[in-house]
Amino acid sequence: MKKLFTSIAFIFSISVNSQSTLPNISLNSLDGNEINIQAISDNDKIAVVSLWATWCVPCIKELDAISEYYEEWKEEVNFDLYAISTDDSRTIKRVNAMVNGKGWEYTILLDSNNELQRALGASTIPLTLIVKNNKIVYRHSGYSAGVEFELFDKIKELK
Amino acid sequence: MNKILFFIILIFSLTTVSQNNENIFGSFESNSQLLQDDNTLNFTSPDDNFRANNYFQLNYNIGNISTGIQYESYLPSAMLGYYPQYNGENGIASYFMNIKRNKIDITLGYFYGQFGNGLIYRSWENRQLGINNAIKGIKFKYKFSESFNLTTIYGQQRNGFELNESTIQGIDSNLSLNKFLNFEKTDLTISASYVGRYQNNSTNDLIPANVKSLGARVDLYSGRFSLNLEGIIKDSDVIANEGVILSDKLYDGTALQLDLGYSKKGLGLNTTFRRLENFNFYSDRLAEGNIYNQQTISYTPALTKQQDYLLTNIYVYSAQPRLVINALENRSGEVGSQTDFYYTFKKDSFLGKYKSKIAVNFSYWAAIESNFNQDQSYDVEFIGDGNRYYRDFNFELKNRWNNKFNTTITMLDVIIDKGVALGGPLGVQGDIKAKVGVFEGTYRYENGKSSRAVIQHLWTKDDKKNWAGLVYEYNFSTSLNVFVADGWNYGGTDKIHYYNFGGSYSKDNIRLSLNYGRQRGGLICVGGVCRYVPENTGLNLNLNLVF
Repeated sequence: MKKLFTSIAFIFSISVNSQSTLPNISLNSLDGNEINIQAISDNDKIAVVSLWATWCVPCIKELDAISEYYEEWKEEVNFDLYAISTDDSRTIKRVNAMVNGKGWEYTILLDSNNELQRALGASTIPLTLIVKNNKIVYRHSGYSAGVEFELFDKIKELK
Repeated sequence: MNKILFFIILIFSLTTVSQNNENIFGSFESNSQLLQDDNTLNFTSPDDNFRANNYFQLNYNIGNISTGIQYESYLPSAMLGYYPQYNGENGIASYFMNIKRNKIDITLGYFYGQFGNGLIYRSWENRQLGINNAIKGIKFKYKFSESFNLTTIYGQQRNGFELNESTIQGIDSNLSLNKFLNFEKTDLTISASYVGRYQNNSTNDLIPANVKSLGARVDLYSGRFSLNLEGIIKDSDVIANEGVILSDKLYDGTALQLDLGYSKKGLGLNTTFRRLENFNFYSDRLAEGNIYNQQTISYTPALTKQQDYLLTNIYVYSAQPRLVINALENRSGEVGSQTDFYYTFKKDSFLGKYKSKIAVNFSYWAAIESNFNQDQSYDVEFIGDGNRYYRDFNFELKNRWNNKFNTTITMLDVIIDKGVALGGPLGVQGDIKAKVGVFEGTYRYENGKSSRAVIQHLWTKDDKKNWAGLVYEYNFSTSLNVFVADGWNYGGTDKIHYYNFGGSYSKDNIRLSLNYGRQRGGLICVGGVCRYVPENTGLNLNLNLVF
């Protein structure tokens, strides 16, 4: 046990370049195209990554809230939101129906094996990140009313 | 311990080789509880009343190579309701190395994955449910072309901190036909998969050592329409109940799932039909039907809408894919369907000035009609008129009234078989009929401050009768909140208040939540899979750190 703690402390001390980048993982879009998530924020593009699921109420609240302003905000700052569903593949179809029915304009990706969720250490969703040049510059988990404005303030700072 | 040292050395040796294109990251999650006696609930705290589940994960990536290791501890005991095999254990639970290069994607060590809908194979982790059925071995994916890929798996499945003795093999292949059919806006993929289990049958030749499943799928997306069809047949195998094989008689199994979808902007419709006859597959034949969802190869979640409010998740369905033949009950599986409908109203509709949103869901699940014969065989209909297990009609309306104020109204009308909801044989104990209404309002002040209140009521003449519920949450900022909640079973004999209060803090890489109160006994479900939690009272702490 003691050895273990020593190793953990040791690892902590060397992890100076902590998790600041997205891992090398490719995810499928709803129509089956593969997108490498390291590429979504290259060339100074700003990408918002939101991990969600069709059964996660706060996730849907957050995405609903952002969708109210999405067009408006995109006119002000050039960014894209990638709503990454952690639903398993049985709900791919529900994802599509929900996204369209709610009129969300986001790019939807599927993390069916929770590969990205695991790599990001996201034990709970929603998890929202802002990424630029593959660097994670903002991270927030959970949803409370108004967090979407905080998110947009951060996006504007990166402009 | 050697494994840890091995990994540290590995990480260091790799670190010194190159400083480019590499990163180390990890996470730590701790969920703990301190239980106490509660006379009202008749809950006596166990002697080991402090319980904690901890997960420490470390990953190292360099170029195309990624490695990871996960340490888990369930000390002094695993939390209440978790798989008892974890109690008092700790150690390195899993590790892996993955190499992605050109057309090859290979994983050595513990891996997760799924084929198709997961019906034929899924290994996954869910810490809330206490599920981690990773397979230790090798997963190899090869992309022959943009149109064709193949995945093979081979290994032994994790069971607690050990491995099951059986070996699992599998192949999944996907062929996209777009190129051959010159489709532009249509996407058509056909797939085939195989999963097999080899498990020693000692000296009993009547029990098959090799059992395999074969499946085929068609996925079609064309503009607004989508269709997905999957069918699986599983070899004959013995059936087991509570770890005991009841006879040498063998039964095969089948699964069939059809999804149809139509959607356009502002409207989404999806319907799923599924039939499961004696369809579940475990890495140990004796693990069939275990209540902890351990050692599963097939993934057969309940296909109903998952609810998230205090009183809407009292009567929840869990899938019933098993063949059970015994003195108490005879059943061969489940069949049913669910339909989802989503619609966004235009601005200034009769429902409100802003775009109102509705979601409607209907589901019906029943036993497949079957007749059981004297010789323990059975005759089965494709659907028939079997006992109803679950019927749910629910409706949700979301409105924004202005920049500050949102409301959500949810209504549920549920009928559930008592056996499904409370345990015991299915289809013979009668139903519970319940209606639930929920009103939720959120008001946003300046600077990230907000209030959220939920008022709810459950009406039923069955089981524990009526409930009332109240939740109030105040957000001091987008990082910090506190809440109080009470689910009051005022119609029940003891009129118990299931109260809870607590708060959470979430900023950057840290999330911390703390709450104290009473846990209503019942099912905790995530994504259609449920875990039973006994009634208890105590303090809960959850910490999540990412670095």
